[in-house]
Amino acid sequence: MPEVTRRDFLKAAVLLPLVPAALAACRRAGSERVVNFYNWSDYIGKDVLPNFTKETGIKVNYDLFADEEAMFAKIRAGARGYDLIVIGDYLIPRFRLLRLIDPIPPGVLKNRGNIAPRFRRASYDPDEAVVPYLWGTTGIGYNRKTVKKKPTSWWDLWDPRYKGRLSMLDNVRDCVSLALQLLGIPETTDDPADLQKAHDLLVKQKPLVAMYSSSSYLDSLVAGEIELAMTWSGDLFQAARDNPSLDYVIPKEGTYMWVDCLALVHGSRHRADTLRLIDYLLEPRVAADNANAVRYATPNAKAMPYIDPVLRRDPRVYPPPDRMKTLALHHVLTPEQTEMWNRVWADVKVA
Amino acid sequence: MRKGRGLKLYCAALYAFLYAPLAVMTVFSFNRAHRNVVWLGFSLKWYGVLFHDAEMMRAALTTLELAVSASAISGALGLLAAYALVRHKPFPGRGVYATLLDVPLMIPEVALGVGLLSFLVRMGYELNFGALACAHALICLPYAVGAVRARLQSSGGERLEEAAMDLGADEWTAFRKVTLPLAMPAVVSGALLAFTISFGDFVTSFFLSGIGVTTLPVKIYSMMKFGVTPEINALSVLLLAATFVLLGVNALFASNPGESSVRA
Amino acid sequence: MLDRALSWLLGGRRPTASHLLLAPSAVWLTIFLLLPSAGLLALSFAHNGPYGAVSWTLGLQNYRRAFNPEYVPVLLRTLVFSGGTTLICLLLGYPLAYYLSFRAGRRRGALIIALMVPFWTSALVAFYSWMIILGREGLLNAVLRRLGLVSAPLALLYTPFSLFLGLVYFYLPFTVLPLYGSLEKIPRQYVEAAYDLGAGRWSAFRQVTLPLSMPGIVAAVLLTFVPCLGDFLTAELLGGPRYYLVGNLISNQFLMAQDWPFGAALTCLLLAGLVGGLWLYRRWEAVA
Repeated sequence: MPEVTRRDFLKAAVLLPLVPAALAACRRAGSERVVNFYNWSDYIGKDVLPNFTKETGIKVNYDLFADEEAMFAKIRAGARGYDLIVIGDYLIPRFRLLRLIDPIPPGVLKNRGNIAPRFRRASYDPDEAVVPYLWGTTGIGYNRKTVKKKPTSWWDLWDPRYKGRLSMLDNVRDCVSLALQLLGIPETTDDPADLQKAHDLLVKQKPLVAMYSSSSYLDSLVAGEIELAMTWSGDLFQAARDNPSLDYVIPKEGTYMWVDCLALVHGSRHRADTLRLIDYLLEPRVAADNANAVRYATPNAKAMPYIDPVLRRDPRVYPPPDRMKTLALHHVLTPEQTEMWNRVWADVKVA
Repeated sequence: MRKGRGLKLYCAALYAFLYAPLAVMTVFSFNRAHRNVVWLGFSLKWYGVLFHDAEMMRAALTTLELAVSASAISGALGLLAAYALVRHKPFPGRGVYATLLDVPLMIPEVALGVGLLSFLVRMGYELNFGALACAHALICLPYAVGAVRARLQSSGGERLEEAAMDLGADEWTAFRKVTLPLAMPAVVSGALLAFTISFGDFVTSFFLSGIGVTTLPVKIYSMMKFGVTPEINALSVLLLAATFVLLGVNALFASNPGESSVRA
Repeated sequence: MLDRALSWLLGGRRPTASHLLLAPSAVWLTIFLLLPSAGLLALSFAHNGPYGAVSWTLGLQNYRRAFNPEYVPVLLRTLVFSGGTTLICLLLGYPLAYYLSFRAGRRRGALIIALMVPFWTSALVAFYSWMIILGREGLLNAVLRRLGLVSAPLALLYTPFSLFLGLVYFYLPFTVLPLYGSLEKIPRQYVEAAYDLGAGRWSAFRQVTLPLSMPGIVAAVLLTFVPCLGDFLTAELLGGPRYYLVGNLISNQFLMAQDWPFGAALTCLLLAGLVGGLWLYRRWEAVA
């Protein structure tokens, strides 16, 4: 039988209360040359950051989140220390209003001009406070092998034939705006009755839906568990590497495009180095590396020559000009609208 | 005799249930695909990727260190707390302590994560490994207390302690020579539960991880968008293999073969 | 001197000694649980402002909203899944704990650790494996078809079956270990004495072993049922949209709907219910 010596006991007794004290002692020094980058796993070209460090001597800490909304919650609760984050366009007004990001001052980025005009001064960012990183569209991903008739309309997601075999994005913006669009109601509506109609349409679909998910549905799609999914373009192209019968279609009713942006976190202690990294990410070859790796489209006009020709010629990634004209950005919601939309989505989940 | 064999078979079946996903995981670590839900052909490439992935190795190490710290802290706190709750004669406030010690189980992790993060920030703490370890120790505490409390409560121990004290030992000696060794299996199983909770925790780790502190679950959940690759399977297989090797070595060198390794 | 101080502490003849032994845990609970929870309590009376900014005009509106009848099915569903999981875990786990305690012999230590080892990978890895096993084109369906038991593949994922399976899988060890901890201590002589008195296997078990292992059962129920109530990842990954549980409801307020005050109010109600329930149970236990 073991003996616990008095010394063991004392050691433990003395050391334990020290842990919280050590917490306070471990404050980080902010002087080293480093940028703390908060992003999805693998949402960047493989060699981009090592090359940046080689070139500039600035280290990059690449930290990970699994979900934008959760990242928003964490930053909002007060998590500090991040310098650079990637956020979707629809979140930018929220981050701005809550002063969670600082606008990038005009003129400090020498590569800002590389961005295609269409992506400059967009509705979500009239004063160019952030930098567009990658963009894509929302559409329908489907399995060619099991879905006999190629989906052409958003209403296919309401088709009872696919009961239990379709998934919807777990995202307020995409789902509520889709419901409004299908009802012919403009996104700008303030009328609670309109949102009630959107709610009813989504609830009507719910018995058919196998899951509301923004990431794990891709595995189910690859595995053949579901056949039809509301999806973001690039995510599906990545998933299609493992299941070549997966295809992507932009329904005939048209769709929204979205832009993931680089934003400077409020209170960043490494501002100069962060701006330098943003500028680096805007360099044509670097932007192309990122776009080629993650298979999203780049908003960087100067990067186009370096884009993998297969991707460049793919109309699902870079829609032809006439199609581009029909792609709309999401309307920037007022706080009151945001609250109403959130309620609708929360109620659909409970229904 | 036949009845005994039935029980043995039943337990084997239960272990098979627990290990079935691990068998699948091991097979799929040799998968060529990017997402480990379809089999695209045999390949060792993900093991190669893993060996060159310093960040993944660091995440694994962070997770291990975290789980060890959390189970050590919660194990020590839990032992003292459970002892006072069970062995001391009733004292004012005992019910409050007992209830409070179970509250970390009850509070949804997301709410705790948001609340704790807001609180620490307001107090001026910067998030780091220590803060995360303390938070993990908190969510592990009920498991440590629960396991030890259940054991101390089951009849038997007090009598041996009383016997020791009748023979002239003081409480400290009785605790050291009788209670603690008797409670040890429960302390160890409490620590195992704590280790497991900490090792697999995603939500608390996500909210309370500071700059540069990435645990495996945070890494893996973050990979869901672009594909959780068989690299994760390969890593899990290696971790499991290392665990079994350690257990085997421990069993080989255990001085007293009659006693199980847990008790030693 | 020191020995005497420690003996005084452990002896617990004075309440001060008990409080001192509990002090480290109390400090921990205060810093990392009570103070943050107090923040949540305050938050639960606040208003949700523009873009989820909290406005501190206090009121009871979040609690009024929480008593909306549309949440009743969510609560009932959660109770069914948590209660069912706990029951299945107890029924499945008790014989295993019994075996580990009385029959396993020298393999016991290894078997106990082997019980936890499957969980020393991410839950997500196990989830993917279950997906491979349970999928329409998965292993289980392949076996069933080969045996001719089914003609078309069964839909097993995103059903109550897969949710129960996931929950039981993840919580089983948390049932078995506390059971083992308390069963293992039951002296064999007690059971033998019961045999000597003419009791059969079953009645010896029912009248001696089972009552003596009651503390283990209580601990197991607590460590299974309660965390199950707040679980949301398992429901999200294996359950599907029809199996929306209390944990999902609360997590969604914080993560998706960005309505922290309402999320805080739901959390406070859940805590009040559970703490109240536990308190009543302890009172009843003390009386009985």
